[in-house]
Parts: sequence; C-alpha cells; structure tokens
Amino acid sequence: LYKNKAGLQNQAQLWRQLSSSSGSGSGTATTTSTTYHTATQTETLSDYQSKHTQPVFESKLPDIAKIPLSEPVPWIPPPKYSTASESNTATRVTTLDNGIRVASEPKFGSFCTVGVVLDSGSRYEVAYPSGISHFLEKLAFGDTLNMKREQIMNTVEKLGGIVDCQTLRDAVIYAASVESKGLERIVELLSEVVWRPLITQPEFEMAQVAVSFDLENLALRPEKDALLMEMIHKAPAGRMKFANNGATRWPNLDWMEAFMVRSPRVPEAIWNEVWEDWSALGKNKPGPAQPPDQVVVWVRGCDHALEERVVDTIESFPRVDRSCHCAGWRPPSIETRRKLVRERSGSCAAEEADLSKVSLGVNPLPELCHLVVGLESVHHQHSDFVTICVLNVLMGGGGSFSAGGPGKGMYTRLYTNVLNKHHWIHNAVAVNHAYSDCGLFCILASAHPSHLHDLTGVLTRELVAMSNAVTTDELQRAKTQLQSMVLMNLESRPVIFEDMARQVLATGNRKQPTYFSELISKVTLDDVHRVAGQMLTSKPSIAAYGSLDKLPSRQDIEAALADKAGRLKSPRSGYSLFR
Amino acid sequence: MMASRILRPAGKLFTKYSNRASSVQPALWRSASTALDYEQAVLNVPATRLTVLDNGMKVASEDSGAPTATVGLWIDTGSRHETERNNGVAHFLEHMAFKGTNKRSQTDLELEVENMGAHLNAYTSREQTVFYAKCFSQDVPRAVEILSDIVQNSKLGEAEIERERGVILREMQEVEGNMQEVVFDHLHAIAFQGTPLAQTILGPTKNIQSISRRDLVDYIQAHYTGPRMVLAGAGGVDHNTLTDLAKEHFKGLTGSHRDIPSLPSYCRYTGSEVRVRDDDMPLAYMAIAVQGCGWNNPDNIPLMIANTIVGNWDRTHGGGMNTAVNLAKACTEGSLAHSYQSFNTCYKDTGLWGIYFVTEKMKIIDLVFNIQHEWMRLCETVTDFEVERAKNMLRTNMLLQLDGTTPICEDIGRQILCYGRRIPFSELDARIAAVNAEVVREVCTKYIYDKCPVQVGVGPIEQMRDYNNLRSGFYWLRI
Repeated sequence: LYKNKAGLQNQAQLWRQLSSSSGSGSGTATTTSTTYHTATQTETLSDYQSKHTQPVFESKLPDIAKIPLSEPVPWIPPPKYSTASESNTATRVTTLDNGIRVASEPKFGSFCTVGVVLDSGSRYEVAYPSGISHFLEKLAFGDTLNMKREQIMNTVEKLGGIVDCQTLRDAVIYAASVESKGLERIVELLSEVVWRPLITQPEFEMAQVAVSFDLENLALRPEKDALLMEMIHKAPAGRMKFANNGATRWPNLDWMEAFMVRSPRVPEAIWNEVWEDWSALGKNKPGPAQPPDQVVVWVRGCDHALEERVVDTIESFPRVDRSCHCAGWRPPSIETRRKLVRERSGSCAAEEADLSKVSLGVNPLPELCHLVVGLESVHHQHSDFVTICVLNVLMGGGGSFSAGGPGKGMYTRLYTNVLNKHHWIHNAVAVNHAYSDCGLFCILASAHPSHLHDLTGVLTRELVAMSNAVTTDELQRAKTQLQSMVLMNLESRPVIFEDMARQVLATGNRKQPTYFSELISKVTLDDVHRVAGQMLTSKPSIAAYGSLDKLPSRQDIEAALADKAGRLKSPRSGYSLFR
Repeated sequence: MMASRILRPAGKLFTKYSNRASSVQPALWRSASTALDYEQAVLNVPATRLTVLDNGMKVASEDSGAPTATVGLWIDTGSRHETERNNGVAHFLEHMAFKGTNKRSQTDLELEVENMGAHLNAYTSREQTVFYAKCFSQDVPRAVEILSDIVQNSKLGEAEIERERGVILREMQEVEGNMQEVVFDHLHAIAFQGTPLAQTILGPTKNIQSISRRDLVDYIQAHYTGPRMVLAGAGGVDHNTLTDLAKEHFKGLTGSHRDIPSLPSYCRYTGSEVRVRDDDMPLAYMAIAVQGCGWNNPDNIPLMIANTIVGNWDRTHGGGMNTAVNLAKACTEGSLAHSYQSFNTCYKDTGLWGIYFVTEKMKIIDLVFNIQHEWMRLCETVTDFEVERAKNMLRTNMLLQLDGTTPICEDIGRQILCYGRRIPFSELDARIAAVNAEVVREVCTKYIYDKCPVQVGVGPIEQMRDYNNLRSGFYWLRI
C-alpha cells in the first residue's frame, strides 16, 4: 500500500523525513530528540514525561489512535481527489402544482444547503402580536405531527448536517446543511418541520424563556447597533397606515412581560383562544400572510436523478388551503405598498437611556449616545438599487478603532471625512436596507452625549455631500470593492442559498454575480449624484438612543439636509435664566 | 442541536482580534466510502498540493477555480518565541507590517489594496503569525508580491513605531474589555507559569512602550526564515503559478530545506488558580482546564470528541435545543449558566482542555459540580451512544467550517505548520471512526482523571471553589 503514493504524498514524505519534528512526546521522534538537545539545551517533553508520569495500566487504544497526526496512516490509501469545475452554475427554477417554487444550483463540494424560505417575517406581524415570528424561530424543529423532536435531531446528526431557523424582517428561513447523500431525507424532514409543527405547551414556555434571554442580552450588550436598527425601522412605521414596513423583529418587552405574568393565571377558555391563535400561525405559516406560491425550496450540490426525486417529495407537500386562515390581515400588493411608501413622511424615534455604565468587565467603557439618520432609498428591484449599493460602499465607515488591515474601507468617506477628522466620534457606518417595496439608507454613528449636536451636523454634511462632491477615483474604488464584496460573500454556501432564495422569491429567477458585476461597472458619477439628490428629498427618519439633551430637533435636521452644504443650525444660544 | 448556525456562523471561541489561542480545528474531510474499509476514498474536493522550495519555504494550495482567492503566509513564530524582555514584539511586528515598506509608503499600500477590492489582514497567536490577503483570483500575483513586500521589506520607521505604541495600548484596552480574552490570558499565565507560553500576545505595557526598531529587526532575522514559513492558497489559485511566485518573491529568505525548525523549549504545566474578585460586575467569567496535548498527538481526536460530548451552550438557544447534551440539560433545568463553551487549545507540545463559562454569582458551585460530574463521567461511564453522536457532530462541524476560500486557506496554512502535511479527509474519517467509548474513557482518564486543574475566576466569584476542594472533584471515591 505504501507504494502507490501519489507524487504529492512523496513530496510530503520527503519533507517529513527531513524535518519530522513531532514534538508531541509520543515516543516516535527518536531520531530528532538529539536535535532538540543541541537546539534548545533544555529537557525535552519526552524526558520530562518519562520523569513525571507513570504508566498506570496497559493501553487498549487501537493502532490508528497511536499514530501521530503528522504521520499518514500506512494502511489507508491516499484518496482520489477531483478537480473543480465551475461548469453549469445556472439556477433551475421549477414551479410545482401546489405553487411551490423549487430552485436549485449545482456547486462543487460534498455538502449541500437546502431549505424552505417563506415570504413572511416580522413585517407581516400586523394581525398578530408583535414578535411572534421571533417566537416561531425559537419553536422551529420541535415536535411535529409525525416526528418527535429527538427523532428530528437524531436524523439530522446521522445525516451529518445542521439545521437552523431564522426569522428576518421580510423572510423566514428554515434551512439545513447536509452531506449531499442525505438530501432526500432532509427535505422530508423540512416538510414536517415547516408544515406540521405541533407547538406544544412546554415548547412554547421554553421559547418564551429563550426570547426573554435574547431581549436581556440585547439590553445588556454594550454595542447598540441592533437596537438602533430596530428603532430606525420603527420610526417611519408610526406614520404609515400599514405597519408593513416597520414591525420589529424584537417583541415588545412590555407585551412579553404581560404575557408571561398572565399565562399561568388565565382561565382555561381565554388561554385556549390565545393558544389557537398561536398554533394556527405556527401550523399554517403559508396561510394568512403568505399565499403558497411564495414558498421556495432550494436544493443544491446534488445530481440530477436525486434532484428529480426531491422534487417529487416536495410535490407531496400539502396544498395549503388559503381560505381557512384568511380572516386576518393580508398584506396589500407590492404595487400598493410601494405607493404607500412614497406617501410616508419620515419621523423620529428617540429613546432616553442611561448608558454611562455599560461595561460588562472591569474597565469602564466610554459613555456613548447613538444616532441613526435614515433617508428613503429604493426597493431591491428598482433600477437605482445598484447605484445605492455603490453609494453605500462609497460611504463605508466602521469603528474608529477596529481590527483588520487595508481593505476594510479605509478610504471610504466615513473614514476619511469623519472618523479620521473627528477623534471624538466613536464609530460611523453606512448601511442600506432594501425590501421588496421600499428601502432605507442610513448612517449610524455614536459619540459622547455632549457631542450629539456636532455629530448630527457632521452626518447631515456628509449626507448632503453625497449628492455633489463624489470624485471619479472614489467611485471607481467603491465599484471595485462592491464587485469583490459580492463575489467574496458568495463564496459561502449558506450565503448563496439566501441570495438565491431571495432573488427567486422576488423575481422568479436568479441572476448570477456576473450580471451584478456588469451593472456595477455601468454606474456613473451622474447616477450617484442624481440618486443621492433624490434620497435627500425624502423626509429623514431619525433614531437616537442614550442621553439625548443635545439632540437637534427634527425640523433642524430636515433643514440641514435641505441646505446645500448640509449645515445644521447651531444649538439655541438664547436667553436663559440659569446659565 | 449544534451551537453553530448555518446562516450566520456563530462567533468562534477565539477569533476576536487575533486568533490568540487557536482552538483545535483540524478541519476536514469526508469519505465517500464508509470509513472502516480501507478502499481508496473518492473525495469531491480538489487535492491540496505541497511543494518545498530550496530555501525551506513550503507552498501549499487547493485550487477550486473560484473567481476569488485567499493567499497567506503562515509563520511558525508567535509570543511563545519571545523572552520576558521582548514579549509583545511578534504582535508589534504584525502592526508594523502595514506601515509601509521600502517600496511603498503606508498610503500607497493602503490605496493599492483598497483599489484592488482586496483585503489584507494579519493576526498573531502564541505560536503562529499570519498575514493573508483576500482578492480576485486574477490579482493573486499582486497579492503575493504585496505579502512578500510587507513581510521582508517593512520600513519599521521610528515615527511609525512611536505612533503604533498608542494604537497597541488602545487595542490592549479593547482586549481587557473582552472577558473571554481576559480569562484565557489569566489561564495561560497560571497554567504555564514561568514559561514563555504564560506570556500574553500583546505583551506588558512596559514592553509596548519600550520595544525598539532593533528588537523588531532582530526578531525578524531570528524567526522569519524559509523553513518556518508556509505560503498557502485557496480558491482560484494555480499551484504552479503560486510556486513560481513564491520562488520569485521569497528568494531572499534565509534557510534551506534541510533545516529542521527547532522546537521551543518545553512549556511546563502547573495546576493552579487565580481569582480576580469584583463584586460590582454583573456576571462571573470563569474557566477550568487540565493539561491537554500537542497538535500532533493522536489523543487530540478522542479529546475533541470528549469536548463535543460536553458541548457548547448559550441560554438563548432555548432548553429544548440541546436535550441530548447532559450538561446543557442541567444548565437549562437549573438556570445554571448564561453560556459555556468547552475548548481544546493545542500548542506544539502541550495544550489546555477545559471549559469556559459565564454565570451568575450564586450559581457557581452548582455549575462547577455539574461540570466535574460530567468530566468524571467521561473518564468512567461514557456510553457508546453518546460517543457515536459526538463523532457525527464533530465531523459535521469540522467539515462545515471549510466554507469559503479564507477558512480553507487558514486550514491549509495551519495544518502544514502543525503537521507538515494536510491530513486527507479520508484519513481523518478513519481516525474518528476508530474512537469508541472505551477510547474516550482511556484518553480522558489519561488527561483528566486525578489531574491538577487550573482555575480562573473574574467577577463576583465568592462561590468559586477552594483549590483543594476543586481538586477533590477530579476523582471518584468508589470501586
């Protein structure tokens, strides 16, 4: 067996012979132990161990467990490797009779990621208690009609996979990564988990606890980014008829507490009513908010025949009866929603909080207040979407002190114009959120509360500067960075999975990264200025958290954004009795 | 269920600002055949090719033909190779690498990388220093040239050195705010007291303020030599091209392929404890560990399986999630912890195997009791059922980690440094398959049973057990 080593192994062996420096003290490095003495002049591990450890009993370890990891196991032949081929990466989409769309894309490797993605999520929580989708995330993979939780977990482990459920603002994802040979089984399992969960009382109570821990952690964490993002999403919602834009992923804490306190004491009847509401939503997720044709199952990394069989399995998924759960709220059509968004006016969500002592450790952290200024951008099917993404990269930003070398966006505007110039700004970063009907372009920043007014001024200046002062160099840099970002993110299987599912949900097919690369390369300076100018005409949404004495009024911020230089009115230096 | 989430990978135990204590993840494999027959396995991955240059440098790559690539330099040196006087110099160098070379100024370097849409990054651990670049695959030659430039021709200007002191001190503050880092630094400081492994990676403030250009140059000359370097690549990287690039850009390196990298002196382990009591902190952060084994030791595999049996847990995962893991079940039922993670940190010749946990001050005794009970069970009564389960989970976790060019490149670089080869999937499969409950019991007994632990507690740790009391939980009085 030793003879049929490939050239690679020969090279490896050669090197090993020359330098077999196994330092594990496993007793095999007899030839090299003398070298240690000359090199280090101290006792070696084997010397040390022979002095200090006494063999207690005879080892029953199998032979393979005695060979150091640096040595190949002689009786195992070297494996046959394959060469990568990036042929045929096109996405195939099939629409089944029951309305489910199946999309798949082959990818080199031995694992596949498969899952069910629903056009649902916290923004559809209108007719249901806020936060219910977060509960569903915690309840996923519990007992189902035909399977016990343990059975599900055992199957997943046997297939060598992991499963996960995530609820986002605009999507619910049940997914699994398994070795390709387990694909069929896992699809069956997913159908159980998605369509036939029981949601038992004990599971529900567990979920309650887990959600409250999540909330506690959110409050305890010194980084407030997630919280601020929830707030800025809520901000425009106050003014909209349909809360379809703003429902937060995080349940309202008050409601949660009320619910928890009440539950042990509620009379049976009321309890049942609440219960039905919950389990109805759980069992029939494609029911009220999602007609079944908005469901995508996505499969990849498998051969054709297997794929056919999988499609058969999916075909046997239940046909969802739309009539039975449509009593509640239904989301308006995308067109209506897009129109509604235009009518919305921005608003302000400010929350006073004492953040002077947020450190979990021994050393105090600086007190910060956090501010987000958001402008209305576009939905992800809009022709300006790519331009806004370029703009997002162009603004870039990050923490004033963050890990990572060149490439993290050191020459983006929020670094060169903001963080490098104003040492008192703790972090500043641009984020664009895009949904099927609207988008939100925001800059998130934090600084000491005493600088809040100055901070707001800096942000308005930068937002306004997007519309007139972009240079060709920075645009080119942003375009290249966005292109590389797209490709690098898509190295990872779960990311391809999500990208594919979202695209198929939105448009019915998936565009390859090359398509977006081309779109990105076509973005011009004029596009950027025009789109930025357009965003500035929308009313800003503002979220602020911390000690907010110095927060400028919304009118002032609006005025600043309308100003050609983005100048913010200086704080009122009026007359005061107590100076 | 697994702690890791597939859609947004949960933060690994030690990845924060530098892979200080790289946990053992000889990430790996899958065999298409069942592991126990020794047929030739067919793997649906590209082969890892390895070439040793005349100057001793190793070039290893896996070509997946992707449009992007990661290339990096893995160097066999870290804070363990420092003395008390120059502790911190390895990390200091990592910082100086991005501050300009004889060819390009700092701004030129930054702009060049940014304009390429590439990323340059570096980290220092106790035994390894790593510089890597992520880029479009057509930019690989340029990336290798940049890496060779920053490693070999750094300007190390006096002004930049002065400026960087402040940055590193600031970084130190950040690290001190991360309780996990703090606990692991304490853990090394006592477990390997009196040896170079006890030193922190950042070094003491005194050194950061005094390290000179001379120290940096000396360190480079002593440690950045051919035989101790690996140029690794993954993604759209052609091996022959990469080898040629290495020959061209690293011809100035000293060393020959005959040099045997010397092993640093053995780092003695000492069972001990440290308490940093601060009753004002909301939570207690603790770790308990025993001496583990070095990278190369085959005992690593049963130890990692033992780790998986103890598991990782976070209270937000929900109770039902981990019903199969005993300790997690105990934690859920008794609300014993906020989170815990078992770890197996390896160095060349030694290691730490243990558990890190965050808990409330009145729960420490109960939690530690449960941990010890679980550890003793590993040595005495662990069942085949649990071991089989853990084997599956370990295999899956390791495999799923190899997603994307950077994790693969990282795996190649680390494995070539640690093992001198990349272990084929099929072989690791066989090695895992050979473990059963008996093996786990034997190996755990060897490392845990009746051994002296190290214990670290930071925060409101009134309940932290007295050392002798803790020690007496490392054996069972029974026949």
